[in-house]
Amino acid sequence: MEFGIFTIGDVTSDPTDGTTVSEHQRIKNTVEIAKKVEEVGLDVFATGQHHNPPFVAPANPPVLLANIAAQTQRLQLSTATTLITTTDPVRIAEDYSYAQHLSDGRISLIMGRGNTGPVYPWFGKDIRAGVPLAVENYNLLYRLWREKNLDWEGKFRTPLNGFTVTPTPLDEVPPFVWHGSIRSPEIAEQAAYYGDGFFHNNIFWPTSHTARMVQLYRQRYEYYGHGKASQAIVGLGGQVFMRKNSQDAVREFRPYFDNAPVYGHGPSLEDFSTQTPLTVGSPQQVIERTLSFRDWAGDYQRQLFLIDHAGLPQKTVLEQLDLLGEEVIPVLREEFAKGRPADVPDAPTHESLVIRHREGRDPIPGGGEGSRAFEDRQARASEAAKEGAEQS
Amino acid sequence: MSTTTMTIVAVTTSLSEDSTTLKLTDRILASATSAGESVGIEVNTEVINIRDLATALSDMTLTGFRSEALEAAFAAVVEADAVVSVAPVYKVAPVGLHTLFWQLIDEKALARTPVLIASTGGTPRHSLAGESVLRPMLAYLKGVVVPTTVFAATDDWGSSEGGRALSARIRQAAEEVVSLTATLIGAGKGDLAEVADPETSDAQFASGEGAGRARGAGQDGRVGRGGGIVDEFDPANVTPFAQLLEG
Repeated sequence: MEFGIFTIGDVTSDPTDGTTVSEHQRIKNTVEIAKKVEEVGLDVFATGQHHNPPFVAPANPPVLLANIAAQTQRLQLSTATTLITTTDPVRIAEDYSYAQHLSDGRISLIMGRGNTGPVYPWFGKDIRAGVPLAVENYNLLYRLWREKNLDWEGKFRTPLNGFTVTPTPLDEVPPFVWHGSIRSPEIAEQAAYYGDGFFHNNIFWPTSHTARMVQLYRQRYEYYGHGKASQAIVGLGGQVFMRKNSQDAVREFRPYFDNAPVYGHGPSLEDFSTQTPLTVGSPQQVIERTLSFRDWAGDYQRQLFLIDHAGLPQKTVLEQLDLLGEEVIPVLREEFAKGRPADVPDAPTHESLVIRHREGRDPIPGGGEGSRAFEDRQARASEAAKEGAEQS
Repeated sequence: MSTTTMTIVAVTTSLSEDSTTLKLTDRILASATSAGESVGIEVNTEVINIRDLATALSDMTLTGFRSEALEAAFAAVVEADAVVSVAPVYKVAPVGLHTLFWQLIDEKALARTPVLIASTGGTPRHSLAGESVLRPMLAYLKGVVVPTTVFAATDDWGSSEGGRALSARIRQAAEEVVSLTATLIGAGKGDLAEVADPETSDAQFASGEGAGRARGAGQDGRVGRGGGIVDEFDPANVTPFAQLLEG
């Protein structure tokens, strides 16, 4: 199981003193945070993709990820998310492939649609076609990373004739892809269809809802024959603020919570903590809360925490990373390993994907022979043939 | 008609304990229950008081986040066979807290669901508030709003004459909602029989195939009642990805 942090790069005033860091400083801080993530022994740094203020998450995440890759050794570098709707799949294929080479295979992607309506037309797209864009664009990306001299035609982009991505993915194995969605069953279905990962950013959602989305993905993953439901590749979000003493954590975090851009001036910190994964308290409370995710999500592969938003000072964020690295993650690694069935896979890495590829075990989109999806297709085809024969 | 049951959920904004709004709710539900009994229908009733959801509604407005209690209330409305909306009128419109509930619930939450509108107010001058504000809103949610609305002003509680008129109106509206619901439940079952061919449907669900053709026909016969809402997170209802790919 891998642990990390994800950032949306918000430039928010610190409500306790009214100061706001510059975009330049926030960007430099982000790189410092990423290096610290590796230093304290976490596995993943993930960045959002943004095109509008007050966010300075990169418009093209490989720019940031490549910079961090050059300053780290083993840190896994991910997006959270890559906008599959408004970004040209050809550029995604090229840029992430390049970053994958630079980082020696440490790149992975979480695909997302983006929920900011005005962003779509800036890139010639329409939010009303969000799901069809995600479906078509990812299908093209999937093929670009696997086929040479591709001829392709679709609804949302100019056709391609004899196109080959350069560079081709490292060792002919594309970066691992997670599909992120909060409430669209189509995306859970998409992840299952390809045998990709499914990431639910549950930080604003009650457990009951997240559990249903994860269950849907797991069952469809099994249906498509990529493994048992319990072996599907699941990632979850989380949001924490810690001090040694839980009262100190609540006292310090409350002004940031009360004024946060997303949920400020709404629910109380206490209510929000009950209803969502937000945990403000001691490292032990964070450990207990995070371990409880397994009760409803099953054994999973990736856990990302949000720790650097709402105007929190850089010093505080780095202290949070120290606490995560020293007190939380080692215990979570140990506890999550207990009782974890041997056949539940770890989070995919480039190395594990290369082995899978060489052994001919790559997932077959839509389900290969032996899967229930395959059997259903056969049954439908023979039914159609029978009907055809009767009609003629 | 053979013996059957129906569930009527009252969505009531009762701002004080023992309010006239709550009294009106109870009387409408009692009247609907007896209207059902007289034709052999067992009526189960449930009351959701929006007052209890006030903070959750304002939180959801600000953050989009639904509390569990709010989710449960929305689900109860979706699953109801019929709904009664009861709210006090403020400044010629049902109190904003009440309309907020309907503004935040899922689209089509009331599909194929008979709805009765009732309001309370200080003077009869407020009597068309339910008609002018709520009828279009509930119709937007695909509710089938019955023709008779109930309005109870202070006068109706004060005089025996007013009381008789109010009782008659309640009875009229309750009968409309019960008979329409009974009709829709009957029709719904007929639809279900058509959609779910007994020879194929069981096998299909057993195989776990998420087939588009089975959309809406849940194993437990959820169709027919609030038939516009399908549990989209049930693997049996998911649109197979091959279909999404084809566009």
